[in-house]
Amino acid sequence: MNIRSIRVADWRCFLDNVEIGPFEEGLNIIHAPNGTGKSTLFEALRRALLDGHKVTGKDVEAIRPWGRNLAPKVTVEFTHTGQEYRLTKQFLDDPSALLERKENGRFRRLAEGTSADEQAREILTKNPPGKGLSKTPNWGIAQVLWAPQGDLAIGPLTGDVVSDIRSMLSAQASSGGTGPVEKRIAERYLQFFSTKGKLKTGKEAPPLARLREELEEAIATRQKAYDLLIAFEEASRRVEELRARRTQARYNADETTKALRNARAVSDTYRKLVAERDQRSERVTGAEAQYGELKQRIDLVKSTEKDLAGAQERLAALESEVPLKDREVQEREKEAAKRKAELEDARKGREAVEAAAQMADAARRFNDCRRELRRIDKLIAKIEEADKTLTQRRQKRNAHVAPDTRVLKAVRKTIKDRDDAQLRTEASLITLEIVSHKDDSVEVVSGETTGSAQLKAGIPTQLRGSPEVVAEIPSVARLRASGPVGSAEEHREARVKAEKKLKELTEPFGTSNLDTLELLAEKGKELDASVGEAETKLQTLLAGRMLDEYVQERNVLEITYKSFLSTYLDWAEKTPDTDALLAEAENTKQAFIKHVENAEAAWDKAQSALRAVAGQKETLSRRLGDAKNQVAGLKEKLVELTSDGKSLQGREAELQRSTMAWEAARARLAEIQGQLGGYVDDPTVVVERLEAQLEAANQESSQTREQEVREEAKLEGLCAQGPYSALATAEERVAQLQHEVRREELRVEAIRLLYDTVSACRSEAIAAVSRPVEAVATRTLQRIAGRRLGRVEVGDSFEPSAVVPESIEQAVTLDNLSGGEQEQLYLATRLALAEVLGKEERQLVVLDDVLTATDTGRLARVMNVLEEAAQRLQILILTCHPERYRGLKRAAFFDLEALTASPISS
Amino acid sequence: MRFLHTADWQIGMKAAALGDAGARVREERLAAGRRVVEAAKSHHVDFVLVAGDLFEDNAVDRVLVQKVVDILSSFGGPVFVIPGNHDPLVPGSVWEHPSWKSASNVHVLLEEAPVEVHGGVLYPCPVREKHSGLNPTAWIPSERDERIRIGMAHGTMENIRRDEPDYPIPRDAEKRAGLDFLALGHWHSYGTYSGPDGIIHMAYSGTHETTKFGERDSGNVLIVEILSPGAPPTITPARTGRLDWITVERDLREHGDLVRVREYIESLANPSNALVDVSLSGLLLADERGELDHIEHILSSRFLWVKLDASRLQPSPEDEAWITNLPPGIIRDAAMRLRDTSGASPEIAARALMELYAIVGEGPH
Repeated sequence: MNIRSIRVADWRCFLDNVEIGPFEEGLNIIHAPNGTGKSTLFEALRRALLDGHKVTGKDVEAIRPWGRNLAPKVTVEFTHTGQEYRLTKQFLDDPSALLERKENGRFRRLAEGTSADEQAREILTKNPPGKGLSKTPNWGIAQVLWAPQGDLAIGPLTGDVVSDIRSMLSAQASSGGTGPVEKRIAERYLQFFSTKGKLKTGKEAPPLARLREELEEAIATRQKAYDLLIAFEEASRRVEELRARRTQARYNADETTKALRNARAVSDTYRKLVAERDQRSERVTGAEAQYGELKQRIDLVKSTEKDLAGAQERLAALESEVPLKDREVQEREKEAAKRKAELEDARKGREAVEAAAQMADAARRFNDCRRELRRIDKLIAKIEEADKTLTQRRQKRNAHVAPDTRVLKAVRKTIKDRDDAQLRTEASLITLEIVSHKDDSVEVVSGETTGSAQLKAGIPTQLRGSPEVVAEIPSVARLRASGPVGSAEEHREARVKAEKKLKELTEPFGTSNLDTLELLAEKGKELDASVGEAETKLQTLLAGRMLDEYVQERNVLEITYKSFLSTYLDWAEKTPDTDALLAEAENTKQAFIKHVENAEAAWDKAQSALRAVAGQKETLSRRLGDAKNQVAGLKEKLVELTSDGKSLQGREAELQRSTMAWEAARARLAEIQGQLGGYVDDPTVVVERLEAQLEAANQESSQTREQEVREEAKLEGLCAQGPYSALATAEERVAQLQHEVRREELRVEAIRLLYDTVSACRSEAIAAVSRPVEAVATRTLQRIAGRRLGRVEVGDSFEPSAVVPESIEQAVTLDNLSGGEQEQLYLATRLALAEVLGKEERQLVVLDDVLTATDTGRLARVMNVLEEAAQRLQILILTCHPERYRGLKRAAFFDLEALTASPISS
Repeated sequence: MRFLHTADWQIGMKAAALGDAGARVREERLAAGRRVVEAAKSHHVDFVLVAGDLFEDNAVDRVLVQKVVDILSSFGGPVFVIPGNHDPLVPGSVWEHPSWKSASNVHVLLEEAPVEVHGGVLYPCPVREKHSGLNPTAWIPSERDERIRIGMAHGTMENIRRDEPDYPIPRDAEKRAGLDFLALGHWHSYGTYSGPDGIIHMAYSGTHETTKFGERDSGNVLIVEILSPGAPPTITPARTGRLDWITVERDLREHGDLVRVREYIESLANPSNALVDVSLSGLLLADERGELDHIEHILSSRFLWVKLDASRLQPSPEDEAWITNLPPGIIRDAAMRLRDTSGASPEIAARALMELYAIVGEGPH
């Protein structure tokens, strides 16, 4: 729609009739200062087109002029789909609504009251507010096209506007004609699924849901049947095992019974044999004892007789050895005494050995002493020589007077001071130079040198003096030269002082000549070095000791030396040969040792032989005693053994009889034992074991049978249920239901896939058509703000959601933009949406006091955009800054203030 | 000597793949048992041999045991039965049911011991566990006598299976045991084994009623006649099965193929006793989609059990006209997407496309 004009009366600040228009199809600027009623005008337009005329309440009461009981009125003339309309409404008191359409050049009534409200609303929205007030969700496309005061931002669009935009966009993107098909697909889909995409449940549930439930139950039944079948098979297996066990137990019992019977028979025989064996064994023992006793007595008698004979023989032999042994002892004692005497002789040679050793040692020490005495004598002589040299050099040095380095340095400085003073004195003198043309003379009256002086023709003659030089050239002139006064004298004094000091310094040396002084000093240094060298030599020789110490040491050595000579007189004439004496002492010692060792060995040998013989003699005596005792004891024993009076032959006959009886008893016992050895185990133990085994086998058999009966009863119970048949039925039921479920699922999933695919295609189509909105908004924004902000992205509800700068290719949310940029972005998006929505009909865009944050530079570019948009849209701008829009060449300006000042008549 | 040889009745067998039709198939196995008895009577046999697996499992419903005993006792003449590996002689087995004792003509042979039969001697080989690697005929003494010697065993003939066989039976078992005929059970298809002389002395009768798809030559019993010891046996199969297990596999390539499938199915005789497994692949032409529905309807309404697998059918590329004829927009985009990207399940995508085709075909309301 396009608005042609608006007339307001009795509306807030508008007491009189105020009409604005006719508006241009393009740009219209309504301007007035703040508080003049621009936004009121916008409100009136909005209420006229969207509010029911009968609305009441505080909000509506507020539109009455302040403090007056007047009914607000508004009339809007507009065009829509090529028709011209006029809508008139009165609110609050006698509310009314009238919609008129221009027919044949004049407005004719089209609808009144609520009908007029509804028809007017349909132009803007499919979601009218009913009878009441219009809120933003009811604005329809005006949400996009109309920006309230200062609020260009587009929030999430509500109500029908999004679907309106989408339907318009999708209608543009794809041709129509498929609506009924989509509807039928949706109907099919909703037969099975809820609007949230869940399979329906309850009364409306499709067969699939019921089938799934039945399948679940059937699977549970199948599982029970399967468990029952497994239980049956296990019970069968258990019974089979128990039967096998029982059979085995019975077999074991039978076998054990048989074995027990045999074992008992064997056991009886065995017991009899054991009894006989014991009896026979006693007999053998008795015979054996008798035989043993007889045999022992015979053997004892025989052996005692034999032992006695032997003992007597050994006694006789020992008794014959005694005198021989006594004699040998005596001889050994003599030999030992002789060897002892020889040893003592040999030991006496020790003194000679020690004397030789002492002499050799004395000779060694004597020679050492003599050598040390000579060395120390030479050292003392050298020290004394060095000391003498040192004394001489010190005397010579003391006799040489020469300046030292410090004095020489002072002399040099003083000479320098003197020479400097001389130079300065000369420099401070007034010089009068006379160059005579002929030889002449001059009389110096005042100057350094007074008196006459000769002048040579052409040769300059200088006269000096201070403070003036006066000279008289006879018959020519008296010359006087003067200059500054005072300095020459000072320099002269300094020179005198220097000379005096020089004299003081050099007086001891007899010359003030620097060269001579330096020669003297050099000589002095050489003498100092000579003294130092002598001192060093002396100290080296002394080696940290005093000369007296060396002299004392020498005296001690001399006493020692002389003491040796008092002992060994001939050493004074011929010094002893230490090595020879040491060798001689060693030889003496070795000879002595060897001699003593030999003597000791001989003595030890004699001693050992003596001890051996003495021991043999003692042993012989003891053995003799023992032999005597043995003979006596054996005799006693023999007497005792033969006390029964039996002869040896008698005894042996008795033994033979006993032997035969014993052997007979033993043979019978061996026979019985052979029979018993044939039994591997003790038959009585075997019987006991078999009895226990039989009892266990019988017990197991009966226990197994009890268990078997129990299991058989259980198995019988399971059999009666026919678990396999139950499982067969259950599995078939599961298979049948699975087949049906699969079939239903295929049907349902096919419908879902069809529905989802169609929905996806629709979403993509819509997404595809929202891209032109983004493209137009992007282009507009870049014209205003440049390329920096990049691409505009709009959300599902077409509200701007982000920008994607080219530099980073990532979405940046709007809160990162400045206020001005946000404003420009929203304007660009509104214009883009308005363009899309206005494809079929020119639409009205209202901007109430917006673009307040846009700077002047960008505003100029906004003007260009608005002018261009105005080719396709009617744009109504309400502003208090008309000057900002003056650049719009094709805009109509309406001064609201002027209009209110000259209202039209009602 | 004339006798009837049967085996592997597998009474109480489950048929999970058949769903609700499983009960009917089980019932049919009992009915086939009755036909076995009728065959025995009509062929005037001296006795009947059942070579194992009379029951599918030892845990079948005891009512079934009673029914089987009733069927067998209705023959009147001697019936000799051995346990098989499905119903082995174990505690709780079907053989402990009291009904066996009440049927005087039915003899369950639980021991490896010769049994006197009319005209000769029978050597039974009962089975005592589900699996075994032992030759069950090994116990039969080899010395011949003047009577006709027949054996009855349950196991796998050598070379039938390459992996470890259950109860292996040597190819010359009858020779080793000196038998005139060895009646075998365990394999459900009819099969005979001749000796070096070309004379058949061993045979599997196969099951008396087919148990599954793909089973060859099953649903019979054998009438065996041996005139004298050493005489060659005469073996005559007799039909006892009634169910038809039919597999239909077709690759659709051209227009009319689907119609021919439908005609073939319609031509199948005895549909109320037929189980049909139809598997279609190839191209589904748009104008034949209705034919597919028609086939499905025929199958579900006439046959005992059916399975129709059309998941490998692809819409014909020439049939995309309906998609390209859609007005440009969301619906056409969705149709092309379903056609080109089948997502997780091609079957669902194809079905979804067919739904869309149907909706579009409904036209404007």
